[in-house]
Parts: sequence; C-alpha cells; structure tokens
Amino acid sequence: MEVAAVAQPSGFRTLERQAKAVNPGQKHEYPHVQGLTEPHIQSFNSIWERAGPRTPALIDVAMSLVDKQTMFDHKGDGDKHLGNKIVFWMDTLRLEHPSLSARETKSTNRLMYPSECRQRGISYRGRLTGMLHYQVNDNPVVSEERVLGQLPVMVRSNRCTLQNMGPAELIRHHEEAEEMGGYFVINGNERVIRLLVATRRNHVLGLQRPSYGNRGPGFTPYAAQIRCVRRDQTSQTMTMHYLTTGRLVLRFALRKQEYLVPVSLLMRALVGASDREIFEAIVGGDAENIFVRDRVELLLRAAKEYAVFTQDQALAYLGDKFRVVMYAPEDATNIEIGRILLRRMVMVHLDTDRDKFNMMAHMVRKLYAVVSGECQEDNPDTQQLQEVYMPGHLYLAIIKEKVEDYLLGVRAEINKDVRAEKVDLYNTRYLARVFSRVVSDIGIRLQYFMATGNLVSKSGLDMQQVSGYTVVAEKLNYLRFISHFRCIHRGAFFTELKTTGVRKLLPEGWGFMCPVHTPDGSPCGLLNHLAHKCRLTTIVEETAAVDAALVRLGVHPGLPTPAQRDPHLLTVQLDGRIVGYCSQSVAARIADALRMLKLDGTRSKKQSAIPFSMEIGFVPRSHGGQLPGLYLFTTPARFIRPVTHLATRLVDHVGSFEQVYMDIACLDADVRPGVTTHQEVLPTHILSAVANFTPFCDFNQSPRNMYQCQMGKQTMGTPMHTYAYRTDNKLYRLQTGQTPICRPRIYDDYGVDGYPNGANAVVAVISYTGYDMEDAMILNKSAHERGFGYGTIYKTEYIDLGKHRKPGDPVTLHFGLGPDSIGDESIMDNIDIDGLPLPGARVEEGSPLYAAIDDVRGRTKVHKYKGEPGYVDGVRLLAGGIDDELQAIAVTFRIPRSPIIGDKFSSRHGQKGVCSQKFPATDMPFTETGMQPDVIINPHAFPSRMTIGMFVESIAAKAGALHGVCQDATPFQFDETNTAADYFGEQLRAAGYNYHGNEPMYSGVTGQEMRADIYIGVVYYQRLRHMVSDKYQVRTTGAVNPLTLQPVKGRKRGGGIRLGEMERDALIAHGAAYFLQDRLMNCSDYSLAYVCRTCGSILAPIAVPATSHVVDLDRSASSGLSTMSALSPAETSAVMAAAGSSVHVGRGPLDLSCRLCRSADDITMVALPFVFRYLATELMSMNMKVKLDVK
Amino acid sequence: MIAEVPTMAIDLVEFHENTSMLVDEYLAHRLGMIPLTSHKVDDFKFTRDCTCTDYCKECSVEFNLHVKWNEEGTRTVYSTELISSNKDVVPVLDSDQDRGIILLKLRKGQEIHIHCIAKKGVAKEHAKWSPCAAVGFEYDPHNNLRHLTYWFEKSIKDEWPLSKNADEEMENDPDAPFDFTAEPTTFYFNVETVGSLHPQNLVDMATRELQGKLGALQLALEEDQNPVSNANMDDGEPWV
Repeated sequence: MEVAAVAQPSGFRTLERQAKAVNPGQKHEYPHVQGLTEPHIQSFNSIWERAGPRTPALIDVAMSLVDKQTMFDHKGDGDKHLGNKIVFWMDTLRLEHPSLSARETKSTNRLMYPSECRQRGISYRGRLTGMLHYQVNDNPVVSEERVLGQLPVMVRSNRCTLQNMGPAELIRHHEEAEEMGGYFVINGNERVIRLLVATRRNHVLGLQRPSYGNRGPGFTPYAAQIRCVRRDQTSQTMTMHYLTTGRLVLRFALRKQEYLVPVSLLMRALVGASDREIFEAIVGGDAENIFVRDRVELLLRAAKEYAVFTQDQALAYLGDKFRVVMYAPEDATNIEIGRILLRRMVMVHLDTDRDKFNMMAHMVRKLYAVVSGECQEDNPDTQQLQEVYMPGHLYLAIIKEKVEDYLLGVRAEINKDVRAEKVDLYNTRYLARVFSRVVSDIGIRLQYFMATGNLVSKSGLDMQQVSGYTVVAEKLNYLRFISHFRCIHRGAFFTELKTTGVRKLLPEGWGFMCPVHTPDGSPCGLLNHLAHKCRLTTIVEETAAVDAALVRLGVHPGLPTPAQRDPHLLTVQLDGRIVGYCSQSVAARIADALRMLKLDGTRSKKQSAIPFSMEIGFVPRSHGGQLPGLYLFTTPARFIRPVTHLATRLVDHVGSFEQVYMDIACLDADVRPGVTTHQEVLPTHILSAVANFTPFCDFNQSPRNMYQCQMGKQTMGTPMHTYAYRTDNKLYRLQTGQTPICRPRIYDDYGVDGYPNGANAVVAVISYTGYDMEDAMILNKSAHERGFGYGTIYKTEYIDLGKHRKPGDPVTLHFGLGPDSIGDESIMDNIDIDGLPLPGARVEEGSPLYAAIDDVRGRTKVHKYKGEPGYVDGVRLLAGGIDDELQAIAVTFRIPRSPIIGDKFSSRHGQKGVCSQKFPATDMPFTETGMQPDVIINPHAFPSRMTIGMFVESIAAKAGALHGVCQDATPFQFDETNTAADYFGEQLRAAGYNYHGNEPMYSGVTGQEMRADIYIGVVYYQRLRHMVSDKYQVRTTGAVNPLTLQPVKGRKRGGGIRLGEMERDALIAHGAAYFLQDRLMNCSDYSLAYVCRTCGSILAPIAVPATSHVVDLDRSASSGLSTMSALSPAETSAVMAAAGSSVHVGRGPLDLSCRLCRSADDITMVALPFVFRYLATELMSMNMKVKLDVK
Repeated sequence: MIAEVPTMAIDLVEFHENTSMLVDEYLAHRLGMIPLTSHKVDDFKFTRDCTCTDYCKECSVEFNLHVKWNEEGTRTVYSTELISSNKDVVPVLDSDQDRGIILLKLRKGQEIHIHCIAKKGVAKEHAKWSPCAAVGFEYDPHNNLRHLTYWFEKSIKDEWPLSKNADEEMENDPDAPFDFTAEPTTFYFNVETVGSLHPQNLVDMATRELQGKLGALQLALEEDQNPVSNANMDDGEPWV
C-alpha cells in the first residue's frame, strides 16, 4: 500500500486511557484542557496574589487607589471653623477559602468543596474581610477588621479548595478528573463571566464618526480616543473632540455624567506649560507642517478667553468647577482639587504629570493627523485595536466600586449627623455605630452580579452595557461546556446596531479569532470564539528593564522639538507612555533588537528583561496609513498567540497589534527568504477548539463548518462523568457513545475520547423509498435495538416542604407515610416508609412520588409525579441546618429517550436530518459482504451543500474500520498532488473494496441487485438534543379560553397551533371552503345563538319562564326600551345562560322571546363563532347595535 | 436468516438489587444482547403459544446472578456467571478459557442481584434474537450477466477488486457474444453467526423456515383454487 506523506495517525489509546481512569494520577493528562480556562483563572488569581516581586496583588493596588474620605464635624470656630477632622479608609481586603458556616459544628473538615454547593443548590463563596482604618485629628490611627460578606469564588482559582489538585484528588472530591474550573457556582448553577471585547488600552485611536458631529454646535466628526487603564485594571475613556473653531475639548465621564474640558487648560494644568511649550510639544519635529501649526495657534488663541496663564490658575479653575462632584475634603483648596481631578480622571494610566502632558500632546497630534488626512482614522472593530475585559478585572472593579460605595455611604451618614448636630467623633461607640449603619456586605452584591449578570454601578465602570455579563456554563455536552470559556462577545451595544461592519471577519483577527466558530443568525460575528492557541495575557509585567533597553538602543527621551526640523521622527511608546523618539531606521533596528532580546528570554528559560508577551508594534511611515511609531505593549488582557520565529526556530508570541506589521508565513511554501520572519506552528491554529473537532473541515463549504460548530454544541453527548454528584435541572447523556474512527489529532490534546458525542454509523447514500427525502434519514431498526443513539435525560426536582412556612413557625409537614397510607400497595411500590421515593422506582404521570404527614390535618398527603415516564435515579436529603428536621430533598429522575421517529441527528459536517422511519433490518439494502447500513441518507443532501468532508470521512472511516486503525482527520493534510481520495481509496482497495467507496447493493425488499453501485461508508453520527418528545403538540378538544371559547395556545396547556391569517389566505386560494369552515369554526368556538329576524339582534332574544313572561312583557311594555335596565345584571346573565341551552332552570320551562320586538315569532337559531357574540356585546356596551340580516 | 430463525435471548430482567454504576434499563439491554446457545431452540415454545400465563419451563429459561463485592479494587462480572436453569441454554463462549462477555464492573460495596428470563423469539421482533451478524450474498462475481454497470473513473479492473467468490467461476470472454437469456444459477452466501447457532445449523433452519413459508403459500393458493375447502376456512374476514 502506498502511504502518502501524512503524519502518523493518532491512536485510540483505549487501554492507556482505561488504566488512567482506573488509577488516576496526580498530574493532569490533558494540559490543553486546563489551558482553556487560563484567562479566567489567572485573571481571578491576579486579584488576590502578587504575580512578581514588584507587582503586588491587584486588590491591594485597587485599595491604594480608593480615596481616603476626610470629614469635619463643624464644631469648631474661627480659624478652625471646620472643627474635628476624621479620615477613614479601607485596605487589606482578603478572601478566604470557602468554608462551612460557623453554625455547622459537627464537621472537622471546615473546607467547602464546589460539588457540595452544586448538589445543595447554594453558592460557592468565601469570606471577604477588610481592614477599616480611621484617624480623628492627629490621634493614632484606629484599625478594625470588618467582614465584607461571602464572596463567590472561582472554581480552581487560588481561593478555591480544589486548587492544585490532580485527577486523583479531584475525583475524590466528586469532580471531573480534568476539571478545569474557571466558573463560579451560584445557587447550584455554574456561571461564567463572559469575555468581552474592549478597545485596546492606552493607545490613541483616531476616529471619524458622523455622530460626533451631531453632539452640538461646532463639533466635527473627528475625535481622538484613548481608553486609559489604571494600575488596578479599571479604565477611564477620554475622547478629544475637534471643533470647527479649532478648539479641542476633552470629554470624559464621571459617575455616568459627561464633562467637557478644554485641552489647552488641561495641558497647562498638568505641567504649567507656556504657550511655547504647548506649541512645541504638539508640533514636534514637523515644524514645516502648516496645517498643524495653524491649528495649534488657533488652540492657543482660543485658550486666552479663560484668562488662565499659570499652572496654579489652571488647577484652581478646574478645582473650582469640580469641587462638588469630586467629594473632595472640605479643607482642600481649589488647586488641590484640581490635582485630584488630574490624578483621578486624566490619562490615568500614567503616574507623572509630565508623561500625561506628553501623551496629551501626542493625542492632539494624532487628532490633527486624522483631520488633515495625514493618517487614516482607526477602525475600532479590528482585533488590532482590541483587547479583552478579563473576568477577574471586571470582578475586581466591582469589588472596588462597592468598597468606595461603602465609604461614601458612611460619609453620607456622618454628613446627616453633622447637619443634625449628633456627630461625636471622639465617641468610639458613635463611630462604631456609624460604620455599621451602612451595609458593608460586598459579597451579596457580587453574588447578585454573578447570578443575574446585571451590573449595578454608580460609575458604570467605563463599560458599555449594564447586563449580560454572566452566562450559565451549560453542561449539555463537552463541546458546549468548553466553548463557554472561549467565547468572546463584542458587546450588547452592537447587537442593536443596524450596520453590519462590526460583524465582519477581518484579516487582523487571523489566528486570534476563529473564522468558523460563530453562530449564524442575530449574534453572527458578534459572538466569536478564540482560536484554540490564542492566549490572553494576564500578568502586569515589570517594564523598567524595557525602558532601560530602549534608551540603550538609541531612543531619545522626551518629545521631538521643532528645532530638530525633522518631520520623520517617530515616537516610541511603551504601554501608552511616551518613552522618547527616534528616526524610522533606528526604530526598525530597535524593533529587531527587542525581538531578539525577547526571544533570549524564551531560549534561556530564565526571567528575561523583556517579557515574552511583549508586543513590538513597529508602524513604519506610509501614505495615509496608521500613524507611524514604535508601539510597545506589555499590559494584561491582550491577545497573543504562538508562532515560530524562523531565524531561531523558537516559539515567539505575537500580539494582534504587531501581527499586522509582521511577515508570518502559513505553510513552508509561503516563506519568502529575507522577508518572512515567522511561520505558523500549524495551520489549524487559526481554528477554535470546537471548529478543530470537525474532521476534514478543509473539504467542506465554509458555512457547513459553522453549522457543525453549532450542532456539535447541541449534541446529546457525554458532558461529564459525575452524574451521581449532579443535581442540574436537566442533563443529557448518550448511553452508547463511541469515539470516532476518523478524527483530528486534536482530539487527543483535549481528551475528547473521554466524552463521546455520538456513534460510528454505517451510512449508505441512496434514495431508497421516499422516507429519506428532504433531509430525512432512515434508521435501521436493528441498529436502534442494539442501542444506536440511545440517550437518557436526568432531571432534578427540588422539593421543599418548608417553602410556605414563615421563619420561626413550627414545622407542620414531615416526610413520612402515616398509618392511613401504610400498607397501600400502590403507594408503597414507589414510596418508602420515610415518605421518600424509592430509587429505581418507575414513575409516570400521576404515580405517587413522595408523602408528607400534615400535623394540622393529621393526614398523609401523597404527592404525584408530573411529567414523562422515567425512573427515580436518586434522592438527596438537603440539610437546612445540621440539627433541623429534614424538610428539603432533591429527587433526580432518569428519563430514557431511545431514538424515535422525529428525533434529530447529524453528521459532523452540518448535515442534519430527522429520523423518518425505522426500517426492519430485512428491508434494508445490503452489500455483498452482508453489511446493512445503520443510516440511509438521500444523495440530494450533497450537491448544493458541498460537504465533501463527509464523503472523505465516510471512506476514511470505512478504511479505518476495515484495517482496525484510527484515521487522522486533521484538516490541511492533503493537497492536489496527494489527495485524500487516493490515500483512503488505496486503503480500501487493499482491503478488497472499491477504490471510490462504492459497493453493489441488493434491495432488502425484493432481493434484486440495484442498478447503480452505492456509496457506503462509516460516518460518525451525533444525536441532537432536539427531540419530538419535547416538542410534539397535539389537540383534538381541550382547554379553551373562557372569554372567547377559542382553543388556548401553548404546548404545556394542551393547546393548539394557530391557523393564522396567512394560512387562511392559502386555504381560500385553494378554495378549500369546507376545511376552512372546519378549522375556523367547528374546531374553534362554534356556538349556536338565537337571532330575532325582525330586529336582527342576537342579544335581544332571551329565555323567560314560560308562565310569567306574559306578565313581564306587559309590565315592560309601558317602559318601552327600558326593558334592559329592568333586569339586574345577575338576572340578565342567568337568563342569557339559560337561553343558550334552553333547558329548565329550576323555575320551570322557559320560552324564547325577543326583548326588542316583544315577540317570539321570528326567533331562529344560527351557528356563530362565539367571539362574534362577544363582539356584539362589546359593541352594545358602546351603544352600537349589530344587526344580522337573516334570510 | 436475519429475521425469522428463532433463538433464545434474555427478555425479562427482574432487579432485586442494583447498586452498580450501570442503570437498570441499560444493564437489561446489555443482558438482552448476550447470545445464548440456541441449538435446542426447537424444544421451546413461543411464550404466546404456551399455555402458561406468565412463563414456564416450556417456553423460557431462567438465569440468576448475585454478586456482592466487598473487597478493594474492581470486580468484573462476566456473562458466564449467569446461572442458567437449563444446561442447553447458556451464554455463548469462544473457548473453554473464555469467561464470556463483561456485563459490568463492581467497586467495593456494590451489589448486583438479578433474575433474568430468556425467551424464544425472532429478530423481526427485536434484534437481540438475531442469530447472525451478517449474511453476505452475491451472484455472478465477474458480472458476466451484466446486471451491474460498475461506475469507474479510469479502469474497472483497478477500481473494483474481485471478491473471493470470483475464484469459483470463470470470467466470460469479453469478446464472446453476449448471452441475453442467461440466468444466474449460483448464489454465494456468507453466513456469520453471533454464536447462538452454528452457521450450518442456521442455514438449515432458515431453509426449513422458507420451506414452511412456501408450503403455507402453496396451501393457500390451492385453497384459493378449491372453493369447497375454502368455504371452511373463510370466516368472512378479508384475508390480509
């Protein structure tokens, strides 16, 4: 056999895996799986633990940035009229490992594990404490520890009790062997904080948006924007608007309120720059640029109107305006407040005012460059200018804000007391009271955030949306679960957007975002998935060495000046700080040198001066491209990915900014000597994990691969092995899963073999009877009987007897069978003497489920089961408190779901179909070797969809089955000269089969040989979770709406499916009048009504007692039309009801009579829709008469 | 052969205790799939034809299994541990050393106690009663009769390997005039059983089954032509 140059097929490794399953080790078998949740876990870890010797834990950084609150009691006079001063602040927030509450005294192991929380339906939380400090006047600082509530803890983070556990220990704690964490357990559900796309931090974007022009008079569409990120990873976005007057204003938001501040004022306030300094900083070396010079001149001229000439004046001006909103100490001067404003709101990623000034000048320069067309405006939708809101950072930002809120709350309390003159700062009891009067439970706020995904925030945290931050990590199957951690959303704002630009797949995302794995429909292109090798940086790097290296390599510190008269000098920025400038050729050299230094660190495996994740974005000069410069980034939350550095053959990590300016070849053939510096490690690295699981996806038409990514996630598979320790609402399980014969090598990396999603089926592509048309598929009945696609659903129901009991009330309901029901066979079959269901008992609609004795009534109440037939899989007794009586249980049901007609199946190539028939084996066609297909699909499924990958899989798996080998289905392995068809065709021929995978077949019905030979092979089939048992809707008669007497809607209520207006149109067009009458009338609200032919009213005919109606009519004759009012409403309705049926109602026989005509002569009966009567009544109430012309 | 040759297979399972990993219905399905030696299947009646109300020795065989594992490690339970009430109907084995099919595995403290009833049945009803794994069928391996038009890209000979049955026949000379009246006379069957019956046995039984069917058909046809005897049979119901 001629074997082409394809890498060795991966093996099933069955025995190896079995050995590991029986004897799990201490080390994880699949490091790739652990890598999936890396961004989540590491960003959470960085909150609580320091990453390096000089990078403190983020929580401490955040607390250092929270302002100390200063207050006065206003009890003094004269010089010290503000009176006594109190300063209070909070720091040293610490999170403990989750542990049992103090109420539970009987357990020696105080630690709590996630599995317990899942099963009990509670949250996995640890105690958060903080140190509250206060100082009154110059007295010693008083510190006390405060408990800030129970904070949800990320599973497998450094605050989780499972941290550092290996498979053996994890299994002991009822977790998966390869549990990778990254989620929170909230009320028993696993919830993940979504990754969200953010604008790249500390980098100026030049924007042109028509909406900016509409902001007000003078505004133009041009602006420069920078999202500055503080050291604690909270951000502050600033937008610099270009006005027609030549002025520039800086816009920023403070507590969701927008403020506009003139840029010239800020620049002066920052360093006290003179007009000349500002001019030089902005113009730089480009002294000849008339456009910029004119604009700067205008800017400075416009600044004159504020009459602010010195730094102090500028600061005082700002301080005056912002005094109220800054919550500044009352004794602070305007200048001080001005400084606080600059520190807190302006260019917050920088520490020194000089750096801020330089960056501001750069921002102005970039804005002018965009306006003049010297450089292009940036597209914020490219991955180049994007990063990620990391879950941990978001979490920290909320904690920080809640601490701030607490301090502000205390401030408000003290303020209230100051006004009421009840304040006494020297009274420790008063202070203790005031500090505890404000709710300091931060844990509950975070719990709410995690449970709902809603962000309740005063500042808005510089975020674009208020909800949708967290999602449930559904464990429908393995693929779905892992993709939750890799999915990245563009932001809720963009889902509303009419324009589709944001959804576009852009080349900048190559290798970072998976081009295949995005849903079709409304979230298409907004909900993306990370390529499986794409990483997110999480560590705040130490950059002092980079600075030193830059200066050593020839960067001049500061900004270029006009005196240099060189317009081509490039700025060098490190994390949004201007380090200096140099010429383009020097910059290019520096970029190369830095790359080598960076790789040095990788090579020597020791801590390098240059972080391995640093981006070296060298933007050369171009004609109207991006603003040139050397942009270096070391910050967290960036996309990076590994590629091979060709010169050194080392793995280099490239970021999304620099990638655009690098020459990275994909295949060997793409390498251009002297130009290409890097090469992809593998071409499959551009795909996400789930997209990589599609075999031979390079043969398919691209949308089919997208569909498979969706369907793979809807498959009924094996989500976990810990069914016994789960109480999820609904869990799916495929009982007879197999590992595919034909699968990409990546299956081994992610351990997918342990979580099978389907079964290998013999598939024949024939049009055999009509039952395979329109994507239907025929199943072999015998295959089904042998267990093909056999699935089970696990449902858990929580039963709480104390649900309606108020706290403190005595327990009146007890689980148990009372003497009144003990011995009852029908009950005892399902319920044990303790009142709880017997595990293994079969239940169906209405069978007894559990029993409780009611003290009040002294009886046993047996509760019935509702739902599909199934079995009781297990009963969990849930503890309220340790000594309390049992009041709550969780019952898990096991509902068998063997495939039936109408269930949905799919191959791994986006070819879904519904089972239309289960053919007996004898009627199935068979081959000369006696093989019968398990599945028959129609050939029409292929021409338009072009899923060639499915054909290749079919022959590859067939050859694999014949030779007993596992076939490698990794994409991009074959090419024109070495085709897959030939490689697998030869294997088939060697096994004595047709080279193309065809076989002659005989009809199972007639035994005749078929005219054409049939393509038959082995394809891995998934069973999708969409099953008819969950969807079927059927109704003959049933519930009706009480008002209209029309059938109700909804599957649960036994309603019908509406035959709507368009359906009606179609039936009219067909002239199907009788059918229409049947649907709209007879099967709906058919009713009979009496109508008076004289007056045409259907409401006037009433039934009156046969004896008395003459008298009645006589009496009403005098009152004429007021007959109606003569009867009370109750009487009217009684009479009306009787009229409908015309039966005897107690008082005697009834006669019909028209109240308007006062005669019974012309009353006749007609069939009407009941709503018509309703309509007539409604109209009557508005004094309108409905007249029927009955002939 | 596939559908109508009767065999024995476990049809009912009563669970007294099952604390193993496998759930009841899954284990019952597994048990049903175990091939049982069925060479004496003719001695049994179909339960529906039997006079008993539930099941009896005439129509069924009982199996018992009770394993409780109280030691460390894993205990594997094999199909040979099913204790049969009839020595002629036992789980199929490859050889004397064979311990049978693995039914389930028990960990310390787990227990399985079941009572199974095997009945006679045919695969038409459920695949577990099927005696054979695959039945190959072929005639005219050289395509002398040209019943087939093989699809090929370059050459038939290369792309369509001949089956083993081709050794049994001669290939017609391609230049010889084609005989339009030729009929296939030799049919090749390749029978592979799951072990419950010997292949020879299976073919015999299948032939007998076929004979019976043909006999019934013949009888029906004769009756159709002979209205006198037909009058006795016809009870007014249309013959379906």
